[in-house]
Order: sequence, then structure tokens, then C-alpha cells
Amino acid sequence: MTRRRPFFVTFLAPAVVTAVILAAAILEVLQYSVREFIPGSLDVGGFTLENFVRINRPIYWLVLLDTFYISLLTAVFSLLLSYPVAYALVRAKRDWVRSLLISLSITPLFTGEIVRTLSWMLTLGADGFVNSILRKLSIIDMPIQLMYTRFGVVVALVQFSMPVMIILLATAISHVDRDCEKAAANLGASPTAVFWRITLPLTMPGILSGVVVIFAWTMSAFSTPQLIGGGKVLMISNLAYLQGFSVLNMPFAATLSLIALVAALGSLALMKSATGRLEKRLAIH
Amino acid sequence: MNPSNPADPAVEIVRVRKDYGSAVGVADVSLTVGRGEFVTLLGPSGCGKSTLLGMIAGFVDPTAGKIIVDGADVTQVEPYRRDIGMVFQSYALFPHMNVYDNVAFGLRMRKLSKAEIDAEVRRVIEMMKLGGMEERRVRQLSGGQQQRVALARAIVIRPKVLLLDEPLSALDKNLRAQMQVELSDLHRKTGLTTIFVTHDQGEALSLSDRIVVMNRGEVQQVAPPIELYRTPANGFVASFIGEINALPAGRYEISGGEAALVLPGIGRLTAPARPEWRFGHGTEVRAFLRPEHVQPAGTQAGDAQAGEGANRISGVVAAHVYQGSHTITRVTVEGIGLVETRVTGAEIMAEAPVGAPITLTIDLGQAVLLGEG
Repeated sequence: MTRRRPFFVTFLAPAVVTAVILAAAILEVLQYSVREFIPGSLDVGGFTLENFVRINRPIYWLVLLDTFYISLLTAVFSLLLSYPVAYALVRAKRDWVRSLLISLSITPLFTGEIVRTLSWMLTLGADGFVNSILRKLSIIDMPIQLMYTRFGVVVALVQFSMPVMIILLATAISHVDRDCEKAAANLGASPTAVFWRITLPLTMPGILSGVVVIFAWTMSAFSTPQLIGGGKVLMISNLAYLQGFSVLNMPFAATLSLIALVAALGSLALMKSATGRLEKRLAIH
Repeated sequence: MNPSNPADPAVEIVRVRKDYGSAVGVADVSLTVGRGEFVTLLGPSGCGKSTLLGMIAGFVDPTAGKIIVDGADVTQVEPYRRDIGMVFQSYALFPHMNVYDNVAFGLRMRKLSKAEIDAEVRRVIEMMKLGGMEERRVRQLSGGQQQRVALARAIVIRPKVLLLDEPLSALDKNLRAQMQVELSDLHRKTGLTTIFVTHDQGEALSLSDRIVVMNRGEVQQVAPPIELYRTPANGFVASFIGEINALPAGRYEISGGEAALVLPGIGRLTAPARPEWRFGHGTEVRAFLRPEHVQPAGTQAGDAQAGEGANRISGVVAAHVYQGSHTITRVTVEGIGLVETRVTGAEIMAEAPVGAPITLTIDLGQAVLLGEG
């Protein structure tokens, strides 16, 4: 009797192929990062650790720190703005309100990143929507600088991340046992108390995973800081791009990419252990 | 105390109605629950009992009618201002809190001092035999313990009324029996006015001072358990409370003190007339008979209840269901269908095996007779 191959092996094949290609690409980046840079040439020289030594300069550390900072701001503001939307989306009594909220929050996912970024440039520019409105209302005389600022970059990044955040939060909110909220009300908790003491703690797993996902996602943001930051706000991807395609220093670009990858994975691992402890303490799942 | 209208009402439900679109959830129900009374809302799922409970708790807005608790109209009062304790079917314990914090929740919402809260929580935890479990996560508790935490959490606030929404349905059979006893003890100890919702007539019969039988949003009968079992007001109550055999409609005859039910094609059943049988001679009535009032002829119990040769019907044994102390035997009787008997012991299974002919005696004097309409 021949042993039958488990049927799912066939289904795993595409995933395996993808994983192998990804691993190969990362290995290639790794390989580049330990090569000598030959100025004026796309060819690379022999083995060197020079690229990693070069990282240790304030300018690069600042970009890395700025990347963390922007990612954190984006995750936090995305959370604050998305929670009410997700809550309304799950709890709205009328079907049409729910449908409207779902389409409003999900549609941005289907417009390309470049299109969205361009819209933000039009909105945030000196003659853009925001400045014209503020000037028409005589709140300001001179246009305020929104483009090429960290603020502008974060605003755009928050808007990009909100659909994903809303989906994650809505899932968590929809899993809250309504009877727990009723029980709390029954025991004398006002609607506000019910929210802070029951709903919010019970959605903590969703909040944590939302923050972690958006943080990691923003860490690798490229076109938004590239276009809205315009070189004045540099995130790690922009720095790698600059090195690789302006200076044509592929080995150093590879090193930066590697650092970005390690930083993202490292912060994910940190957050994972933190959330693991928190969830254990909450013992919700 | 007049059972249908308690002198000292804790809860008064006045012509309360709930419509869901064009469907009726609860139809003009009025009910008064006396202070300290244990009242059960009993009915099949969808009968409106849980909706009614939800309206008392404030989670469901009545379409019409009033709900009065302790003399105050609470119909428009928010749930969190009603001071009504509730145990949910799912218990709805707070999974992110331990036992102590679950029980303390209601007192913290009432802004009591730490010392007061601690004293009350410990007292109730002791009363519910949860001592030593204060720090446990609720997920780590067994079903019975979760049930006790849910009860503790509801009674610690000293509610005006305690509402129990099918709290025993999630427990296995042995635990359910044990919790019934504990609920009963708890009610005696606390004296809390309790409204209990269940679809289990056994629970209702064993726990309640009075039972409210509901069907399709309407109250069918309100009565103490014994009265409900012995004199159901209609066919629905008769078939819902306990096992019962519904005989086909027959003609009621009365002469002197002797009543008779003539079942066309089946026979004539007689019994001394009972005062509540106020049917005219010749009117159509239906008889409902408990399985214990149908016995095999030839046995002592059977002959004692019917007298030699009288009140007999014949059929064929269809099945035996052995229950330990007694055996339920189902008999196919032509013109009636399946008739259930409840016989002490196990002997009947050998004496009348499945497929054998059997003669049954019927104790019409114990039957519930209901006129048509």
C-alpha cells in the first residue's frame, strides 16, 4: 500500500515558490551589503564591512529615529481616528449607515498610493485646499507650510493606514460580547463607564494588533515621504533609494535596507512580546 | 395573600406590549409580582418571555404599557439606573477581570468606599461558596462556579428585583439539579423578589411560587405550580406542563353525580363529576391525561383507579422507555394515536413486550377536561 500524499501539499506549492523567491532576494540584498562600493560603477568590489561602519553616523541614526517616530505617530493617530469609525461601523443600527461607512473607509484601499499621495499634495500645497480655505476664512494671511513637513507626511500616512486599522478594529469590536456590556449597564455602569471599563479593554487585542501592523507598515513607507516629504522628510526607504538610485551606491543602499528590515522585525518582536504579556494579563483569549 | 394579585407588589407590569415591525413580541401582558416572590416566566422559545425580561431590565423598550418597580414607573428609566440585578444565559462575566473584580463591579459603579465594597464582596463570595477563588480568572472556572459568580455579581448590589434569564440551561444535568437547589436556598436566604425565565417546565415547577405560562407573546395562565399541573387553563398549558395525553374531542354527559366522556369509536369513560367541570350535557370537550393516570389493566394500580371492567381502551405496545424507578410505555390506540403510560417498576417490559396487545385503564377523574374554544 502506498502512502497517500496529504492533499494540502499541492496547495502549499505557490506559497513555497513565493517564499523561496523572497528568501533569495533577501540573501541577494545581504550579499550586496557586504560588498565594496566602486564609485561611478554599478559593479561591486570584494568583501567589506565598511558599509556597516558607515551607518554609525548621526545623520543615518537620525533618519532611523525619524522613521520610528513617524511610524509611531502614524500608528497612534490612525488608532485614535479609526476607533470611532470602526465603532460606528459595527454598532450602527441602520444598514445604510453601515454600508456607507464600510464603503467610505474601504474605498481608499482601491486607489493607488501615488494617486492618493498626489491628492494630498494638492490638498496640502501652498495654494492647496487647506491653505485656500484658511485664507478665505481669514484665519491666516500667509500660507502655512504643510508640504515637505513631518506633519504633512504623517497626515497622509494616517489617511493611508486608516482602512486597515478600521478593518482590524471593527473585527475586534464585533467580537465584543454584547451581553457583557448589558451586564455592566445592569450593574449600574453609565454608557461612558461601559465603554471605558468593558468595551475598550475587550477590544485591546485588536487595538494592539492594529498599532503593530500600522507601525510595521509605515516603517517601510516610501512614496508618501518621498513625494510629500520632498527630500526634507527622510524615512529609511527614502534614504536607501537616495543611495541606490542617486548616488548609485548599491552596497550601502542594501545595507540600509537590511537595517530597515532588522529594525522593523525587531520592533515587531518587541511589540509582540509586550502585547503577549498584556494579553495574558487581560486573559481575553 | 391572593396569588393572582399580591398585596405588596415589587414589580407591576401593566399592559406591556412589544411589536417588532408587524410581528408581536409581547402582547399586552399584565402581571404583578409580590415582594419576595419567585415567579417563573415559562414558555417555548420565541414566546416573548425573554423580551419581557429585557423590558423589565430596560434593554428592550416596550411599544406600549408601563413597568413599575417598587411603586415607581421605570418604563423610561435607563437600565443602569434601575437597580435590577440580572443573570444572563451566557453569564456575561467580564473576561478581563478576576472573580473579585467581577463581583465588585456593581458596587464600584455605586461609588462605595473601598472598605464597604470589600466587606460586601467578601460576604457574598462567602455566601456563594466562592471563597479562595477571588483572584481566579473567570475563564478558569467551571460552569457551576461561573454561574455562582454571575449570581454573586447580581445580588451584591442588593437589587430591587433579581432577573434570571435561563441561567441553568448551559449546565449539564447533575449540575443543573444542584444549582436548582442552590437557587432555591439563595432565594430563601436573601428573600429577593425573583423573576426567572426558562423553557424547562421541571425547573419552573420545582422553583417557583407562581408560574406564568406564555405562548406567542401572550400569557396563557398564571398559577402556583400544583394548580398549574392539576388544572391547566387550556390545551397549550396542559401539553406544555409535564407529559400529557391529549384525547380526541368527545361528548360530555352528566347524570346525577356521574360524568361520562363519550369518545366516538373508542368508548365511554366515566368518573364522579368534579365541581370544576361545568359543561352542559352533550357539549364537546377534550380530555388531557397524565401518563400516571393511564395504567395497564390487570395490574393493581390499574384496577384500583378504574374499577373492574370500566374505563378501558385497547391498543398495541409501541415502545418502552425504562427510567429506573418507572417505565414509560407508549401504546398505539386506534382513534387516538400514541398514549403514554407511566408504570412503576420494570415488570411491564416483560409482561407486555413491544407488539403485544394491551388494555389500559383510564382514570377520568384525574383528567383535565377543557371545553372547545
